[in-house]
Amino acid sequence: MRQTPGGDRGRGVHWQMALPLPLTLATRYLKSTRRDAHVSFLSKLAAGGIALGVAALVLVLAGLSGLQGFLRDDVLARTPHLEIELPADGADVDGVVESVAAVPGVEGVREILRGRGWLLIQGDPINVQVVGFDGELPAFFPRSAEEAEAALAQGVFVGRGVALRWGLEVGSGVDLVSPRPSLTPFGPQPRIQRLRMAGTFETGRTEEQDPRVAVPLDTARRLFGGGGRRLEVRATDLETALAVAPRIEGTLPAAAELRTWRDLNRGLFFALELEKTLMFLSVFLIVPVAAMALVTVLALLISSKRSEIGMLHAMGTTPRDVERAFLGLGAMLASIGLIGGAVLGVGGAFLLDRFRLIRPPGDAYFIDHVPFRVEPGDLGMVVAATVAFTFLSTWYAARKAGSLEPTEVLGAP
Amino acid sequence: MSNANPEPHRVDTVIDARGVRKSYVDGTRTVKVLDGIDLAVNAGEMVAVVGPSGSGKSTLLHLLGALDVPDDGEVTIAGHALGRMGRRELAQFRNRSLGFVFQFHRLLPDFDALENVMMPGRIAGMGVQKLHERARGLLVEVGLEHRLDHFPSQLSGGERQRVALCRALLLEPPVLLADEPTGNLDPESAEHVFELLLALQGRHGTTTVLVTHNPDLAGRCGTILVLDNGALAAPAADSAES
Repeated sequence: MRQTPGGDRGRGVHWQMALPLPLTLATRYLKSTRRDAHVSFLSKLAAGGIALGVAALVLVLAGLSGLQGFLRDDVLARTPHLEIELPADGADVDGVVESVAAVPGVEGVREILRGRGWLLIQGDPINVQVVGFDGELPAFFPRSAEEAEAALAQGVFVGRGVALRWGLEVGSGVDLVSPRPSLTPFGPQPRIQRLRMAGTFETGRTEEQDPRVAVPLDTARRLFGGGGRRLEVRATDLETALAVAPRIEGTLPAAAELRTWRDLNRGLFFALELEKTLMFLSVFLIVPVAAMALVTVLALLISSKRSEIGMLHAMGTTPRDVERAFLGLGAMLASIGLIGGAVLGVGGAFLLDRFRLIRPPGDAYFIDHVPFRVEPGDLGMVVAATVAFTFLSTWYAARKAGSLEPTEVLGAP
Repeated sequence: MSNANPEPHRVDTVIDARGVRKSYVDGTRTVKVLDGIDLAVNAGEMVAVVGPSGSGKSTLLHLLGALDVPDDGEVTIAGHALGRMGRRELAQFRNRSLGFVFQFHRLLPDFDALENVMMPGRIAGMGVQKLHERARGLLVEVGLEHRLDHFPSQLSGGERQRVALCRALLLEPPVLLADEPTGNLDPESAEHVFELLLALQGRHGTTTVLVTHNPDLAGRCGTILVLDNGALAAPAADSAES
């Protein structure tokens, strides 16, 4: 505790005097930034600017992470963990299935067939992806317990959204058309299969423009022939799938091709990452602007303390210690901004997510609120980039202070 | 005994400058400030350097204080040749072996009187408790025991110079360099500060070089040297008598 001026010092040494010299100087200089109105304003501007930049970055990245997480989960729910495309020249499917199933981490392997066609409903063709499956409906066609209960054993499974839009119910008749023609005495005719709707599955938010339907494997073979034969591999989880992929690849015939869930959605993931990177770069521009204010604060302070710096040199302070003192001061101002901004950003993201404060119009977007998710990696990147940038700016100013020649500054009052 | 034309280096010579030259470039012309200065000051001696404004007194003090380097010549302080030392070594040397008092007190405004006096010890890396006691003792010695907590802005001109004097002597350096220490004070404060300077210099046995314009103060030093036209000389007999 400091005594009021005028009294004898009844206390011991101020704690700041026991710090390493550069920190002693930096803590006192931090205090002195409050004395000069101009420096004080600029200090607040710099710290506030850094806080604003960090908070904006954390919020934007949290919003993007939340949104991307939602999209990713939605897409991955409809994507096999691993998919093996078999060569068309009659590979030993059973042999491949057996060898892949033996790889540790693999939970199940089964054949699927993919093709494209049209679903004819009330005479209207709908362009669809067709997946032929064997046995149970694959896990990448998620459905509720009620939907599973109500489903028929055979027929075509369509997305819930398509069924609702076209008024289809379990048991309704639909036609599935393949672009692969059948040769008839009247010329090539499209292959059409009349099917009953066996059930529905959850329609992904992102698949409304390109719906999928699932049919039994033999039906798919009849419509699309033997091409497009694939094996769907389910691993214990997504990360395991990536880990076991190289081992599975070693068991496959030469012409077979293995794709992970990441490969299958590479375009989407790339777009999401690119979006995040570009947003990071554009919002991060606030930080350099604030760092420039930091340089200005330090330059002003150094200019006002030239004679003190000269005296410190005269007393034997090394240029490096003077440099460190101003680095410390810059680091303190930047830390105030950084910590303030991080608290503001993380707190803001929590509140926005918890109370679902950002709600886009439900009829125009596929989400009812924007989810916010603060990723530790994103936070670390924001902190690292801010620290690096403010350090560089501070270092520039601090070097100027360290390089002041005492004779330049000791002559004048 | 100090003189402007030293004999070969003696053991008790604390300040020894030989053939020191210094010039500055001012636009397109070169201004010769010191032109072959020879100076030897013995241990415990107090030397006043007088001379007109711009004669190079402060430049000489900066060179003796290892704050600047001569263009030519050699400065040896307490047996250490300054020209052979690196920047870090010089900083350490200034800290341990030299005390400075300037015309403008040069106290650190963010530190109170006691902390200002402690500063050279902090730079030397000494323990704060020991420094606290020593600094307090010095401030009591100059009658500032009631001003320990005061910041420079709360002190009078004379008090500031007394604090600066304590700071310069904290580590008991062998050499004290004072550049017009009373030049900015009213006559009463100047007298008080100078008395203290003499008393402390005598008590601590510090070799002192004092740059001043004030002939009265110079006359109270052991030796007076006149710096004129870049050269040091003993004062003329009539001027010394006056």
